Amino acid sequence: MRNLINFLIKYNHWLLFVLLETVSFVLLFRFNNYQGSVYFTSANRLCGAIYDMTGQVTRYFGLADVNRDLTARNVELEIEVERLTEALEHYTQDTTGIARLRREALAEYTLHEARVVNNSITRPNNFITIDKGRADGIRPEMGVVCGNGVVGIVYLTGASHSIVLPVLNSRSNISCKIKRTDYFGILKWEGGSPQYAYVKDMPRHSEFSLGDTIVTSGHSAVFPAGIPIGTVDDMTDSHDGLSYLLKVRLFTDFARLNNVQIISSAKGTEQTALEDSARIALER
Amino acid sequence: MQHLTRIKWFVLLVILQALVLNHVHFGRFATPLLYIYFILKFNSDTNTKSLILWGFSLGICIDILSNTPGLNAAATVFTAFCRPKLLHVLSTRDPDDKFEPGIRIMGLAAFSRYALAVIFLHSAALNIIDAFSFVNFNILILKILSDALMTLVCVLCIDSVRRER
Repeated sequence: MRNLINFLIKYNHWLLFVLLETVSFVLLFRFNNYQGSVYFTSANRLCGAIYDMTGQVTRYFGLADVNRDLTARNVELEIEVERLTEALEHYTQDTTGIARLRREALAEYTLHEARVVNNSITRPNNFITIDKGRADGIRPEMGVVCGNGVVGIVYLTGASHSIVLPVLNSRSNISCKIKRTDYFGILKWEGGSPQYAYVKDMPRHSEFSLGDTIVTSGHSAVFPAGIPIGTVDDMTDSHDGLSYLLKVRLFTDFARLNNVQIISSAKGTEQTALEDSARIALER
Repeated sequence: MQHLTRIKWFVLLVILQALVLNHVHFGRFATPLLYIYFILKFNSDTNTKSLILWGFSLGICIDILSNTPGLNAAATVFTAFCRPKLLHVLSTRDPDDKFEPGIRIMGLAAFSRYALAVIFLHSAALNIIDAFSFVNFNILILKILSDALMTLVCVLCIDSVRRER
């Protein structure tokens, strides 16, 4: 016993070393499993305030490019809206119906504006911090988009800041489809360039061509259908050979993310609750 | 007074690392991990326990600011734990001698050797824990080496500037 105590006294820095390494790894794995503690991330109050200050300075640098992108996207959308409106008028011969349709499409969803205060793109698992939190009605599992396309999904919420799991995170899974032919797959990112992601599980009989647009499928409650993600850049066989793997060039430029919108849908919570209870029932 | 200087350096390095250096990627790879300079500069007679505790608090502060809870803390604790032995082996001075590691006292060659060993160890630990797999082995090695080299350059620059004061 005395030898043991002597041993512990002599090598107590070993004990401290093992203890602190354990604490670090517990933190590391807790955060990697879903929903860690907000206090150990930049969604806590103090860090949020620090990043607010730096964000206010740095967000001006990319403003010109953001503006140009938005203008281009705006023009694109205007043209599309014009074309669709004409088509609709042609088919229905009813002009008052269009305004009603537009109202109905957006009625289910509420958009919250937010600013990106911290962002990374080069790590294997990237995170984005935004300046809206629980107090502003943000909840985990809400979809996040920007002017050009999909950004990611809210992961953790603090009182006034939240952490977003962007597409550029190996744990992000977003249901998507090919806009032209409606075949759907799952959007994954596997590290490397922040401009490209992959669509997995695209069936072998699906029809697509290079340059096709990929949009959200609307199958999950997170995103409404039809939000642009990117264009098909390249295609290969998946590792098991059962499906195609599409390389997608993302519309969103994550390196210059400034303003984002968070989508909350009234229907979404109901759908999620239903899917969760179904899953729990199956596991029993 | 010495404590005050230490805390000043602590805050300075944490802020610098989290807000500026973490977003620097020379040639898409090399990120300077300058905060390890804090561990490098402890007196040679500092006991391992307090070194480990300082390392942990430094790592955890950077983690909290950069959304990687535990990552930098684990790597820094490991580095702090290894530092006394590395300093003992790599400095040519008497082991009982009390000194602050630096270019002025140790000489450029000895300090670079010691700094390179500590920095390399830190960079390796950090990147291996971060990647947590050896799938992209070449990229991992490249990242470890480029980070270490970049950090060494920064540490030598800062230390030589500090020396002249």
